[in-house]
Amino acid sequence: MTKAINLTLKVWRQKGPEDKGRLETYDAKDISTNMSFLEMLDVINEQLTLAGKEPIAFDHDCREGICGMCGAVVNGRPHGPEKGTTLCQLHMRHFSDRDTIFIEPWRSRAFKIIKDLVVDRGALDRLIQAGGYISANTGGAPDANAIPVPQASAELAFDAAACIGCGACVAACPNASAMLFVGAKVSHLVLLPQGEPEAAQRATAMVREMDSLGFGNCSNERECEAECPKEISITNIARLNREYFKSRFFSNVK
Amino acid sequence: MPLDAKIPIGPLAEKWDRHRFELKLVNPANKRKFEIIVVGTGLAGGSASASLAELGYSVKTFCIQDSPRRAHSIAAQGGINAAKNYTNEGDSIWRLFYDTVKGGDFRAREANVYRLAQISNNIIDQCVAQGVPFARDYGGLLANRSFGGAQVARTFYARGQTGQQLLLGAYSAMMRQVATGRVTMYPRREMLELVVINGQARGIVVRNLITGAIESHAADAVVLCTGGYSNVYFLSTNAMASNVSATYRAYQKGAYFANPCFTQIHPTCIPVHGANQSKLTLMSESLRNDGRVWVPKNAAEKRPAHQIPESERDYYLERKYPSFGNLAPRDVASRSAKEQCDSGRGVGETGLAVYLDFADAIKRDGRAVFEQKYSNLFQMYEKITGEDPYETPMMIYPAVHYTMGGLWVDYNLMSTIDGLFVLGEANFSDHGANRLGASALMQGLADGYFIVPYTIGGYLAGTTLPNVSIDHPAFKDYSAEAKNRVRKLLSIQGKRTVDDFHKQLGLVMWDYCGMARNNDGLKKAKEMIQELRDEFWQNVLVPGSENDFNQSLERVGRVADFLDFAELMVIDALDRQESCGGHFNEAYQTEDSEAKRDDENFCHASAWEFAGEGKTPILHKEPLVFENVELTQRSYK
Amino acid sequence: MNWFIHTIGSSIGKKLLMAITGLGFCGFLAVHLAGNLTIYGGKASFNSYSEHLHALEPLVTIAEWGLLTFAVVHVLTGAVLFYQNLKARPVRYSVNKSAGGRSLGSRTMPYTGILLLAFVIFHLINFHFADRTVTTIYAIVSGAFKHPAYVVVYIIAVAIAAVHVSHGFWSAFQTIGANHPKYMPLVRTIGTVFSLMVGIGFGAIPVYLFIFV
Ligand SMILES: Cc1cc2nc3c(=O)[nH]c(=O)nc-3n(C[C@H](O)[C@H](O)[C@H](O)COP(=O)(O)OP(=O)(O)OC[C@H]3O[C@@H](n4cnc5c(N)ncnc54)[C@H](O)[C@@H]3O)c2cc1C
Ligand code: HEM
Ligand code: SF4
Ligand code: FES
Repeated sequence: MTKAINLTLKVWRQKGPEDKGRLETYDAKDISTNMSFLEMLDVINEQLTLAGKEPIAFDHDCREGICGMCGAVVNGRPHGPEKGTTLCQLHMRHFSDRDTIFIEPWRSRAFKIIKDLVVDRGALDRLIQAGGYISANTGGAPDANAIPVPQASAELAFDAAACIGCGACVAACPNASAMLFVGAKVSHLVLLPQGEPEAAQRATAMVREMDSLGFGNCSNERECEAECPKEISITNIARLNREYFKSRFFSNVK
Repeated sequence: MPLDAKIPIGPLAEKWDRHRFELKLVNPANKRKFEIIVVGTGLAGGSASASLAELGYSVKTFCIQDSPRRAHSIAAQGGINAAKNYTNEGDSIWRLFYDTVKGGDFRAREANVYRLAQISNNIIDQCVAQGVPFARDYGGLLANRSFGGAQVARTFYARGQTGQQLLLGAYSAMMRQVATGRVTMYPRREMLELVVINGQARGIVVRNLITGAIESHAADAVVLCTGGYSNVYFLSTNAMASNVSATYRAYQKGAYFANPCFTQIHPTCIPVHGANQSKLTLMSESLRNDGRVWVPKNAAEKRPAHQIPESERDYYLERKYPSFGNLAPRDVASRSAKEQCDSGRGVGETGLAVYLDFADAIKRDGRAVFEQKYSNLFQMYEKITGEDPYETPMMIYPAVHYTMGGLWVDYNLMSTIDGLFVLGEANFSDHGANRLGASALMQGLADGYFIVPYTIGGYLAGTTLPNVSIDHPAFKDYSAEAKNRVRKLLSIQGKRTVDDFHKQLGLVMWDYCGMARNNDGLKKAKEMIQELRDEFWQNVLVPGSENDFNQSLERVGRVADFLDFAELMVIDALDRQESCGGHFNEAYQTEDSEAKRDDENFCHASAWEFAGEGKTPILHKEPLVFENVELTQRSYK
Repeated sequence: MNWFIHTIGSSIGKKLLMAITGLGFCGFLAVHLAGNLTIYGGKASFNSYSEHLHALEPLVTIAEWGLLTFAVVHVLTGAVLFYQNLKARPVRYSVNKSAGGRSLGSRTMPYTGILLLAFVIFHLINFHFADRTVTTIYAIVSGAFKHPAYVVVYIIAVAIAAVHVSHGFWSAFQTIGANHPKYMPLVRTIGTVFSLMVGIGFGAIPVYLFIFV
């Protein structure tokens, strides 16, 4: 049932990339437990606006857990405490009256802060650009059923393809590594016969790009898997490692 | 100027082939010299950018989100149609064509719909080649499911995330072109102006959403793929940034806006929970296969659902539509729910919900079977509402979902402004007055992968395009205009927030130009919108500054355009004195409360021309000629 | 060989070095432990093990150089990784909370590692480079463990090794790409058992010597 709770928020406020930033405290009064976390921030923002202050900047769009645009670290947990849930799908009923909630942006050298909770995740696009695709020009495709794909492979590929590119894995990783993101894409494509031909090229190119973007190195801490809103498994990281070694040691890719 | 849809002559099935043959080609060596701007990176924009770049054009692509992969298309759940007939049920291009025209209540253009059905098969081929992980059978071949409005299973799907997977396909194809340098991607940009020089679309003015800088971009053609305008209702299933600004600006610059009042309302969404709700979430229509919709008979009912005895429940869909029952089509089911709630019998805290009860089906099939079918939906419901639908009936309510109206385009997908092409949900072309499930994804990709790459070539090859750069005075003027508008909005410093106005507008539209409309209400709405707009320009409060990342400033611009556009919707709704598909005027209904068309007087697309600020827009009619299908009345009793 | 340098210089390549050298150490630990168990057989058995081992020359020297190389690679690569990972997040969170992925072992790899390094040096000076011309290895070892301080240091060190390996073992398999839902649970179990064996096996020796000899 609906309840109203009162909360203390400690929100990271930072005017721009150059600003030092600091945590500021806000009282969130009378928050209906039916609200989503972002709606709670909407309420605070309306109040800030009316009080002549600048509202808290945060990214969001679909608000149904699929676009990957939202995200903040809530009490030390990317996307908050619920498993398999994006921030926009986190609801206030998971908090209790008088809780103090720390809200911080994704922190990684590869993601510069734009403002408050908004970060630049362009690095993830650059990773896809480096090789997260199948080179199939429009028009040349054979009939969709020409190449059967074992159902199990298709399902595994889907599990990896479910990544929404939110960057929570990077935010959660103690080393700010992007291996889960890259592993998911490499796995998605290599598990399908259509992606096989470019497998070697792709693995090398994506890892090379990843290393150049300022992400940390994976040390198999498994925080990414535990925080990923789409529950993408680290078996995909192992597959990435395999594909990378295959590419480096057993293919012609330079 | 009469509206010329440029439909090729000849038999329906040969039109597209013939047209492609007749279109002029651009010399491959010259393609690089042509610059094309694509606004939007949803299925339409993503696929268009990729395909145009593959052909060799120099493409500049823009989107509002931080990454092109986040366009609203990502949220589509159910699937995408194609006439593959893999299930051997007798599907065909013709059947898909017919179902789509009929589903659209005979307000779409035959030739376009037929082409869409033809192309549908290539889309699936292309997506599979890109690595879209569609659902498959044990043997490894593609699986299909059935969807509303069709008697054959022709919907391809990727679990409940079809839109996501299709979009990631288009996005990756596009990013591949970004890597080659043929596409330049500009994320976090919002188009504020369309630059028209000598009657030709030659560029856009955008605001860099990070720095606030106003930037100009010139091109030889502009392709708008900016999606639908459901957010005029504030609450809808659309993403928060979905807007009408880009298309409305094009309208103000001379592109006609067609059928703005055709909006689709989806019957099964999670209801509004309170005044601070920001957006609505869709629950798949498939739930109606096993759920029974009801409300308490007594308006004063206070007991929880399970304490209300059978005799005091009204299964109103079963009562009103004995043969279709709970499976009545989207528009009918939506309207009935509203009727019940308007009469005070709605349930839940706000009284704006009806029960969707699975108790009988769970008893019949057992919980295990049920979990297999619906567990992901039930989980999503529980996540949002905190209630377990296995224990208490779901509560649902209709929500705005899709807009069939959009910028008028001819068969080449070109608007009434030369060189301005419009694709995807942003145009009006293929769904008439009602879109069938799983057809929007199909249309977006058809437009982007397989239509505009040819038709834009035809335009570029057959047009004289004087050299234009951003030094042209028009760019200076438009930039200044955009800047002034931003400053004006910031300078008002009133007392009400942007969302406050948006919510109020949404309520007006929902109440008077929503599921059911009537002339009095529409007239009233028009006045209310005008008043609200006047107040808005005097009393809106936008914090922050112009040269900064300022989300309130982003929103205020969109709401300003919604306030203008809402009036156009109402004008269109008032003009169309019939009911058809998603446009239901209470004065025109059959005895079964069905939409009653007036084919004699309204078998046309209404294309509105902007006549100037504060002036009544000018109506142009494109008559719809049906040579291949017979116009019939739908009945679901 | 340029491609090779590139490969091992990449993030995954460095991890591969860690995994190979780490697994090499695990193998060494297993052999070392097996040998050390002879100490329970008494003075004669342990000394004979030592003699037999040294009779294998030059294999032992080769193995020693191999281990030294592994150690240099493992330590230097570990240091580079540690430094790079620290830099990858220039501003830390003010609240840190695990979602349950990390373990005691994974959290502390660099720290247990550096302590191990210190211990290994200490250990080598103590026993390996000890002058054996006038005494036997058994005498050196049992002599050392007469001091409670030695016993405590060794037990702590061995516990640290166990913690390091508790993460390191399965992690190395993950790194070389050997993660399959069918086998991973087994690998993890073996890792846990192995780290317990290392901890208890090595840890019991000083206690045994201290109490019974
Ligand atoms: C919840 C939900 C479920 C759906 N399920 C299905 C389904 O199962 N099957 C189906 O066929 N259809 C479905 N639809 C409909 C379908 O998803 C959309 O109609 C379709 O994806 C629209 O694609 P688009 O490319 O035209 O536009 P969008 O995907 O909306 O993309 C618009 C793009 O334009 C950009 N943009 C907008 N305005 C501007 C501006 N001013 N300046 C710069 N850029 C701008 C945005 O950033 C974005 O990139 C569903 C819709 C919803 C809401
Ligand atoms: C008996 C001695 C040792 C054994 C058996 C051992 C074993 C291992 C193993 C198996 C790994 C896992 C590799 C991977 O994740 O792929 C590892 C990682 C590591 N080791 Fe050791 N190691 C030993 C000594 C040391 C020493 C002396 C140091 C440092 C001074 C060290 C530092 C590290 C570090 C920092 C890591 C983590 C690397 C990363 O994942 O980023 N180790 N070790
Ligand atoms: S792998 Fe998971 S956490 Fe990482 S970007 Fe993808 S969805 Fe987000
Ligand atoms: S807003 Fe789209 S995933 Fe949260």
